[in-house]
Amino acid sequence: MTVDSSIMISFSTASKEYDNQTALRDITFMVEKGEMVFITGPSGSGKTTLLKLIYSAERPDSGHISVAGWDINNLKESTIPLLRRHIGVVFQDFRLLANRNIFDNVAMALRIRGAAEREIKTKVYESLKSVGLRHKSDSYPRNLSGGEQQRVVIARATVAEPNLLLADEPTGNLDADTAEGVMRIFKNINAKGTTIMIATHNKELYRNTGKKVIRLDSGNLVDVGKG
Amino acid sequence: MAPYAFRLALQSLIREKWINLLSILTIASGLLVISVTLFAAYNIDAATRRLPEKFSMILYLEDNTPQDRLESIMTALRKKRAVSSVRFISKDEAIKELRGLLKNSNYVFEGLDENPLPDSIEVKLKKEAVTAEAVKKISEEAQTIKGIKEVDYGEKFLAAIHSVRSGVTTIGIVLIAIISAGIIFVCYSTVKILFYRRSDEIETFKLLGATKTFIRLPFLIEGGIIGASGGLATLLGVMMFYYIVIARLSAAIPLLSTLLFPRTVFLSLPLIGLFLGITGAAIAIGRLRY
Repeated sequence: MTVDSSIMISFSTASKEYDNQTALRDITFMVEKGEMVFITGPSGSGKTTLLKLIYSAERPDSGHISVAGWDINNLKESTIPLLRRHIGVVFQDFRLLANRNIFDNVAMALRIRGAAEREIKTKVYESLKSVGLRHKSDSYPRNLSGGEQQRVVIARATVAEPNLLLADEPTGNLDADTAEGVMRIFKNINAKGTTIMIATHNKELYRNTGKKVIRLDSGNLVDVGKG
Repeated sequence: MAPYAFRLALQSLIREKWINLLSILTIASGLLVISVTLFAAYNIDAATRRLPEKFSMILYLEDNTPQDRLESIMTALRKKRAVSSVRFISKDEAIKELRGLLKNSNYVFEGLDENPLPDSIEVKLKKEAVTAEAVKKISEEAQTIKGIKEVDYGEKFLAAIHSVRSGVTTIGIVLIAIISAGIIFVCYSTVKILFYRRSDEIETFKLLGATKTFIRLPFLIEGGIIGASGGLATLLGVMMFYYIVIARLSAAIPLLSTLLFPRTVFLSLPLIGLFLGITGAAIAIGRLRY
């Protein structure tokens, strides 16, 4: 299967099951480079599974998936880290390292890539500044509010300037004002050319945005429309 | 990547200091047993190696063996490849030597009117020929020479030395193998515990794009440091034992001063610990899956 160079994500009749329970069935859609896309649907509709298939935490049982030119179906285990370095992920459960300060949490994304310490320092402070948390670099996650932790995760996901940013319920635990702030950050990142895919059940996030919205229900793709 | 891996390893060593300290002490205890075994084996080996140089066979001659017969016996013995020297000991020389040895027990000789000892030939063998089998063979050959009444070569003594040597070597190898496996297991368990404790962190590393090497390296370094520290602690313990305890005890027990210290072997203890530690850690991490 050949992939158009302008396509960032391509799903072609991709399915995934867990213990004979369908998580996703025959999903087909495409996301172009630089797009901002929302995946929506009720809890258990398969949003998180879809994101996991993109960053290769799961493999499709059938169908075909390609991400940034990588053939996910035939990706070797040793190549998975390389794919993930092209993707920034804002995890639903944050996945911040409790015993490391905010600087180190964000820096981890660069250290994993083998960046030099001087470069790490510059980029981490820049990234923290972009989410308004430069002054919290020495704090630990436990001392930060939910919204602040969410912004640290965004800083970590974007510090290495990935081609694709995935966010799983990024405003799930945030109040309306904080959620708006987080969305503003996403829009700024998208404006710089990063493709963004946001999984959310919060309709307010994509209403009147004019962005692509992929609707899932019980593992089925029910609609691809505009917000 | 390596400097950061060292940093992660050191951070973990400090964070989990008690479990690591316990492992280091356990490894040190194991290595101490290995060291004592090596120390004993080394000294027994060194002592038994020196014995062949002093080893000799005594060939007792028949009474009134004529001079030409004696000459021909000695020539025949000298021709043997295993023989390094041949010396005739007359019965008078023999009694003189005996009296010298037993000068504090002179009563043994009271009432002896004539010298009961026979003339004899002392045969020294080349170092490599001093084995129980070779000596037995030479003894049997010597007994067939006309004029030789009896051969004495400390058969049991020689066999005992060889069995002690091979026994110590066997026990040493078995003990070292068992304890090495034990040390690997200690490192394995320690790293496994640390690995489980950090499983969330490792999962996050994987999701952020960390390679297997990035994840493994700190654990291997940690295992290596734990093993090497155990080795270092043992080295210090062994050196203190040898240079302080044995040195002081030697004043009271002179035999102790003849003990040898295999410095090179003991200096390599941290390296042995390092190797065992890394091996244990490598087994503990096993195969990482994404």
